[in-house]
Parts: sequence; C-alpha cells; structure tokens
Amino acid sequence: MTVSRRTVLLGGVASAALLPSVIKAQAQTPTEVVIGVIYPLSGASAQIGVDAQRAFETAADIINKNYDFALPLAKGEGLSGLGGAKVRLVFADHQADPQKGRAEAERLITQEKVCAIVGTYQSAVAVTVSQICERYQIPFLSADNSSPSLHRRGLKFYFRAAPHDEMFSTAMFDFFDAQKKKGQKIETLALFHEDTIFGTDSANAQIKLAADRGYKIVSDIKYRANSPSLTAEVQQLKAANADVLMPSSYTTDAILLVKTMAELGYKPKNIMAQDAGFSEKATYDAVGDKVEGVISRGSFSLDLAAKRPMVGTVNDLFKAKSGKDFNDYSSRQFMGLIVMADAINRAKSTDGEKIRQALVATDMKGEDTIMPWKRVKFDEMGQNNDADPVLLQYTGGKFVTISPPQAAVAEAIWPMTK
Amino acid sequence: MNNSFALRRRNDLIMAAVLTAAAACMPFLVKDVYVQNIMVLTLMYAALSQSWNILSGYCGQISLGHALYFGLGAYTTALLFTKFGVVPWVGMIAGGLISAMIALALGYPTFRLGGHYFVIATIVIAEIGLLLFHNWDWAGAALGIDIPVRGDSWLKFQFTRSKLPYFYFALAFCVVAWLITWWLEDSKWGYWWRAVKDNPEAAQSLGVVVFNSKMGAAAVSAFLTAIGGAFYAMFVSYIDPDSVMSFQFSLLMALPAVLGGIGTLWGPVLGAAILIPLTEVTRSFIGGSGRGVDLILYGALIVAISLARPEGLVGLFSRRKKETAR
Amino acid sequence: MTTQTIVQSLASGLLMGLLYGLIAVGLALIFGLMDVTNFAHGEFLMLAMYVTFFLFAFFAIDPLLAMPLVAAALFAFGAVIYLLVVRFAMRAKTNVGMVQIFATFGLAILLRGLAQFFFTPDYRSIPTSWLGGKTVSVFGVFLPVPQLVGALVAVAAFGALYFFIKKTDFGRALEATREDAGAVALVGIDKNRVFALGWGLGSALVGLAGAIMASFFYIYPDVGASFALIAYVTVALGGFGSVFGAFAGGIIVGLVEASTALILPPSLKSVGIYAVYLLVVFIRPRGLFGSI
Repeated sequence: MTVSRRTVLLGGVASAALLPSVIKAQAQTPTEVVIGVIYPLSGASAQIGVDAQRAFETAADIINKNYDFALPLAKGEGLSGLGGAKVRLVFADHQADPQKGRAEAERLITQEKVCAIVGTYQSAVAVTVSQICERYQIPFLSADNSSPSLHRRGLKFYFRAAPHDEMFSTAMFDFFDAQKKKGQKIETLALFHEDTIFGTDSANAQIKLAADRGYKIVSDIKYRANSPSLTAEVQQLKAANADVLMPSSYTTDAILLVKTMAELGYKPKNIMAQDAGFSEKATYDAVGDKVEGVISRGSFSLDLAAKRPMVGTVNDLFKAKSGKDFNDYSSRQFMGLIVMADAINRAKSTDGEKIRQALVATDMKGEDTIMPWKRVKFDEMGQNNDADPVLLQYTGGKFVTISPPQAAVAEAIWPMTK
Repeated sequence: MNNSFALRRRNDLIMAAVLTAAAACMPFLVKDVYVQNIMVLTLMYAALSQSWNILSGYCGQISLGHALYFGLGAYTTALLFTKFGVVPWVGMIAGGLISAMIALALGYPTFRLGGHYFVIATIVIAEIGLLLFHNWDWAGAALGIDIPVRGDSWLKFQFTRSKLPYFYFALAFCVVAWLITWWLEDSKWGYWWRAVKDNPEAAQSLGVVVFNSKMGAAAVSAFLTAIGGAFYAMFVSYIDPDSVMSFQFSLLMALPAVLGGIGTLWGPVLGAAILIPLTEVTRSFIGGSGRGVDLILYGALIVAISLARPEGLVGLFSRRKKETAR
Repeated sequence: MTTQTIVQSLASGLLMGLLYGLIAVGLALIFGLMDVTNFAHGEFLMLAMYVTFFLFAFFAIDPLLAMPLVAAALFAFGAVIYLLVVRFAMRAKTNVGMVQIFATFGLAILLRGLAQFFFTPDYRSIPTSWLGGKTVSVFGVFLPVPQLVGALVAVAAFGALYFFIKKTDFGRALEATREDAGAVALVGIDKNRVFALGWGLGSALVGLAGAIMASFFYIYPDVGASFALIAYVTVALGGFGSVFGAFAGGIIVGLVEASTALILPPSLKSVGIYAVYLLVVFIRPRGLFGSI
C-alpha cells in the first residue's frame, strides 16, 4: 500500500515538477528580439511547416546579416531601432490542432517571452492562437491564413498583410469579366472544394461572387479531405462540364483530382484554382504534364524578379536553404516576418502594445516587398486591403503571371486547352 | 476476502483524499501557466479516461467512439452559449443528458455485437457523427464555433489568463469520475460485471439484468464524457468537428486507462499522469525540429509500455493487481 | 443522372472495391489466425508505397515489376514486427484485445514518425510508369489501367490465398493453429513460427496493394490513415476470420461508396459505408461470412 501510494504521488508530482527546470534553459539577452513561429511540424501537413521553417529562417537571416537590397531591415545587422538587436525565432509545433496551437502560443508568450507571434497555416489554429495573443496583448501576424472570418472578430492584436479568400476570389471573377469582354464564353462554373475551413470559406466567397456577377454554378462539390478516392466526385464534374472548374484543394487532393480526371477522360475547359495544392511543387512534379494551362491565384510571382531584382536574390537565398523556389505560402511567410520585424524596429521596443501601434502605423511601399502588392497598410480590423492577388498560369513547366494587368508578363491562354 | 476487499476500498478512498489535497495545492507551487495548462489537460484526460473505463474497462464493452459523446458535450455547450446565450453550466448538463440518451439509443442494438464487431461499430458511429457535424452549416460546419471571451466570469466560465478556475474544475471533474467508479466497484452492477468476466455462462443466466446494467454504464460513461467535452469547449474557447470528434480523440481518451491498467480504479489516473505531460513536453521541446522525433518517442513509449507491462502500469503494484483480477 | 453515370460509378466502385479488398485481406488473415487487429495496417501500406517509390526513384524499377520485391520486403517486415512486438503484446493475461490494439497503435505512430524522419514529409508520387495515367474506354465507360491491374491482382491474390489455405500443408497448419494453438504445439508445430509466417503473409498482401497504389496515388507519411479505417470496416463487414469475407466486403464497400456519392453530397459518401456496416451487423452480428 505504501509503495503504491508513494509511486503514484511521485508520478504526478515528478511529471509536473520536472518541467520548470527544462524550461528555464534559455535566458534572454537584451541583444535579441524573440519572435514565436507556430506551424504544423508533424502530422499530415508537416511538409508545409518544414518549408515554412526555411522561409522564416531566410527572413531572419536577411534581417540579422548585412545585405544590400531595398527590403526593409536588409541593410545593416539586426534591428537598428533596438541597437542592432538580432531576431531569434522560436518554432513550435501545433500538429494542426487548435488546442495545441493555443497551448504553444501561451508557452511561447510566458516562457520564451516572445514579443510577437507569426503563424499558422491552418485557419482553425489561427483562431485559437490569435485569441491567446489578444489575451496577453501580444501582436499576432497571420502570415498565410486566408479565411476571411479571421479578421472580423474584433481583435486588436490581429494583423494580416496578405489577401484573404474573398480578395483572391474577387481577382478570379475580375479576370472572368475581363475575358468575357474579350468575347470569351464563360457562363458556367463548377466548384470543387474540400470540407475544412479553407475549402468552405473559399466556396462561400465564390458562390457569393458568382451570384453577384451573374455566373451560373452548375456543380458545387464538397468532398472529404484526403479521401482515398475522388472518382465519384470527378464523374459529377465531368457530367456538369462547366466552362471553368474552380478547385480549392490541398496538395494530396489536388494530385488525386488531376490523376482521376485523366483516368476518367475528363479534360476541363479551364481550371481556376484557389492556390493551396495548385501552388505546390509536389503537385506539378506529380501531375504537371496533365494540367498545362491551369490558372491559380497567388500572392507571389517570380516574374517580378525582372522588374525588381531583389525578388530573385531573396528567392535564391531561400532556394539555397530549402531546394525550392518561393511559392505562394513560403513567400507570404517570409514577408510576414519582415513586416512584423519592421514594426518592432519602428516601435523601438518589445512591448506588445507599442508593437501593435507600430503595426497600425505600418505603411510599406509595394516596391519594398517581394510581393506584387500595392503596399502594406492595415485597416482597423488588421487586414491589408492593398495586397493585390495575382493570377498565375502554368505553362511550359513554370508559372507565368497573367493578371492583374500591372503585374502581368504574358497574355492568358484561354481556354486553356485547345 | 470480503474483509480485505472492504479494507482496500477504504485505503483507496484515503489515498484519493490525500492525492486530491496534494493536487489542490499544486497551483500554489507551480505558477507557470504552461505547466498549469499541462496539469489541466492531465486532469481532464484522467477524468475522461476514467469515464471511458466504466464502460470499456469494468463492463468490458470496448468503445473507440467516445469522441462522439465528447463532441456532443462540446457542441451542445458552445451552441447554446453562442446562439442562445445559455450559460455553459446549463449547456454542460444538457450536453451530458443528450449524450446519455444517445448512448442508450445506440446501446440497444450495439450491445448485442461481440468483440471487434462492437469496437468497429463504435468507431463508425462516431465517424458518422463527425461527418454530420462537418456538413451541418447551422452548427458552424468546418468553420467550427469561436466562443468570444470577454473578461473573467464564473457565470460564463471564462477566464482570460488564469488557469486556476479551469484547474479546479478539472480536478473536481476527475474526483467525481473517480468516486463514481469507486462506488460502482462495490455496487450490484460491479458484482455482475465481475461475474460476467469470470464466467460467461453466468452472463446467460443474468441475461436481462446484465444488459440493463450495461445500458446504465453506457449512459453514465457518456454523460461524464460529455461534461469533459463541455469543459474543453470553454477551456479552449474554440471547437471544430476535427478537434473534438475525430477518431484520434477516441483513442486518446482510452490510452491512459490502457497504459495505466484497464478496468482498474487507478489505471486512468496513473496513465494520464504519465502520458499527457510526456506528450506535451515532447511536442513542445522536440516537435519544433520538424523531423517527427516527437512522434517517434511517443509511439515508442506506447509500444514499450504495452509490451513491458501488458496489464498496465498499475500492475507494478503486485498486491493490488491480484485483488483487481479477482 | 444518366445510365452512363450510373454504370461508370459502379464500374469505378467495383475496381476501387477490389483494391480495398486487397488492402483488407492481410488484416483479415492476421485476425483470423490469431484474433489480433493490426492498428498499424495503414502504416504497413504506407511503407509498401515508399518501398515502391524508392525502388522506382533509385533503381528505375517500374511499380509493376517491383510488386514481388515489395511483397517480399513487407513479408520480412511483417514477420519481424510479429517477433519483436506483437508476440509480446499477446502475453497479457487480461484484456489482450486492448493491449494489442494499443501496441499496434503505438507502432503506427512510431512508423509515421520514422517515415517523416527518414523520408521527410514531402509528398511523393511516381510521375510515369507503365500503368500510371493510362486508361481504357469500354462503351464510354472509363477504366483506369492501374486500378484494372490492381483488381486483377486482387482476384489472383484471393484465388492463390484460398488455394494456399485449403490445399497446402502450411495453410492447414495455419488453420489448425487458429483452431487450437495448444493442441498444435503437441504435434510439434511451433506456434510462433506459424504466427510469424502468417504476419509475413498478411503484410506481403498489403505490399501488393501498396505497389499497385504507388503508381496512381500520392505518397507521404500519413497516407495510410485514410485507408486504415476502410480496411477495418471491410474486414468486419465481411466477417472476421473469413478471407472470402474480406473479398466480398471490399467489393460491397467500393460499390456502396460510389453509389452513396450519387445520392448524398460526396463529403458524406463514407456515411453510406458506415450505415451499411451497421445495418449488416445488426442483422447478422458476425458479419456476412464471419465464423468468429
């Protein structure tokens, strides 16, 4: 009896008492600014998280070392506003679980003493992470979440420099309108979206826009993410044979969708993809030959390097770390950290409220970013409405910017299949 | 034997009182919110696993679909709160009752199934629930329910930074689940279940009463699990179908009991006290590598415990093991 | 909904169903032999797909040719897992079922972690293979070649397995061990050897499925998860202990999935499978062809 009691007690106490000693290992030096980065680093979307890690490391590298290009903070070492303090990143793994994301945010804030948090890929996790940041008055920059509901929750410490799904979808419909003016026939649309937040939000925005602008949705297919088979879904798409197929799918489903379409002999007239899987290298490695001419929205375009050489330089730095070119996600992640660090630099402080004020005052010119955006300036809800999305067409094994006109380097090939 | 059984039960109660008192003092020793968060989760999982243990351990009806009840509790509470302004305390009880009723309705056809057919049935029923919530727009579908937190309030059971109210609720929840189990061990039901386990023929003669007692166990287990779900919704203040109703979650609820000792009074508590801190710490301090090392450690640990101590870690105390086996 | 759509749905469902059957049969075999459900079955499939992928990437071996190699690799792997893990999990005196479920569940997490560690979480796929991307059209009904070959392999594998269990000495030893492990020990059959071979055989079958699937599916550490649950339902639907049941169960699951998607929103298509399972076991508590 005594043995058991002691052991049980020890188990409970030891597990709890062990922790503080583990945690206090990293002391803070005044010469560094600690920023928390929360991503899925294991589990089904680990690949995104691991790529994100490389993107953030590239950004931190550019801030901390001396580079000679027009990006904010590239010149000189560290943050000049804080006496050259270096940026140190602390990565945390949320495994796509909102509860874990919340716990990690709290740990980063209270133990690692981060002064800001950047994240999170999954929008569901962004909900809880931003709640925690709000409670601790620590600014949260949502680098790559595209759910429009995120910035409409009345949070003061929430910021998003990149576009959300409604902006992305608007760009698509603007493009349709322009094509129609040129005499193309675009009347019917088929939506194909997965059943998590990303697909749901995307489809909601597209349904609304289609109704507003007089397009007919002939097929609206919501499918279970990571399904073992998409045959039945593709058959319905094939039967509908809309003028444009609009998929909102992550990488796994994007690969399976394209393969299944080929197997069932369905060649869509046009594909206008909501990014995600359709901007991932893995998708094009697998099925690139079958989707010649697919158009995907994005917030990044490597074509910009011709006008703005630093885009190419930064991309090379990232490629040296990751072996991949910037894509829509990694570019937004990279830019997210730059925007946050720029605000901290101007705040000249690591105090949450001061950084928040600096973020509110942000007015970064588009030319100072690696993105095709007009500028970075947050509205009262923390959303940057000047982040213009681009449309990219996959031709000849690479992406070419086709819209909006000011960023385009080529005419769209429409319809995509001859 | 009757005497030693009574003695053991008294000792268990004393030990529980000591442990509860010790646990109640913990927040005064540990101020760190991260560690407090782990303690809350540990207590929550101990209670959930205890609830699961009533049906699956004592009663022998192995359910891998308890995420359904957990999710129902979480959704009832969150929906009543956000849509109708009903305080979570009422939502919690409502969720518990709904879950208990569904457990009774499902118990009727499923208890006739044997072994693995029953296990698979519980899995697919929970999966159907998950898919329905995923497609139910009024309940937020995939977007889930974001519970706005505005200031501290016991009535709304919301606290912006302090973990203490959650900690004490979870502790109370854990104690209640433990006491119910303790009480059941010595009840008529407890005797029947032991009799059925020892001697399947006895089950035939007891037929109807045993079936009814199993229905009772399912209802109690579902009710408690739903309370846990309601607590989770308020603690995390955001729920979506995948985070409260996935199959993974059903396994996580069962795991502490299995590792600690299935069908034992202390198994779930012991299992949760070891497993949950370990999961959290490996993820926090190793998971950042992005190499999956946390998964490797976690998986290897489960395999190692299953192999080294197939009867559960409670089996480390040999005297106790013999008694419970009886 | 035209006749064309319905015929196409059912044809695709049948092909997919045979593949589900092939994935599930290894699970059914192991279960029938020793009453153990392998909760790492999906991860075995994942490993088989990776083996196929690496054989292709490093040695340019086409998935079709790789099939026997992958099956052999998985045979060895399955036998080793039995000897190192499952054998010990079965020592439990009470609740053997639960202990082995969680030992194999832990194994599943471990294998996923190891896959992420060694293979990275990148999504892989085999872009060009003899079968991949090809499709035949019969009266306007499209039949993808990889699935078609998969279906043929499934049928052949079931035939061979049936013959093996009923007609060979080893098959009879398997059956006898299943009936009464204690008695066979008396006649000099080593129980562990039989079980290890059973695990090897069951894993080799999932190896075949993995090799086929690698030519048309994506590959990453979590890929097994989507198939594992379907495999369990398939086995239970057919009836535990029945190899033929897994075959029939697979076909039913494939057809039900395809036809549900015609009626309900596709995101609910698994509900059809689950509902049919529940319906079947409520009427026949041992599945369609179950003996246990």
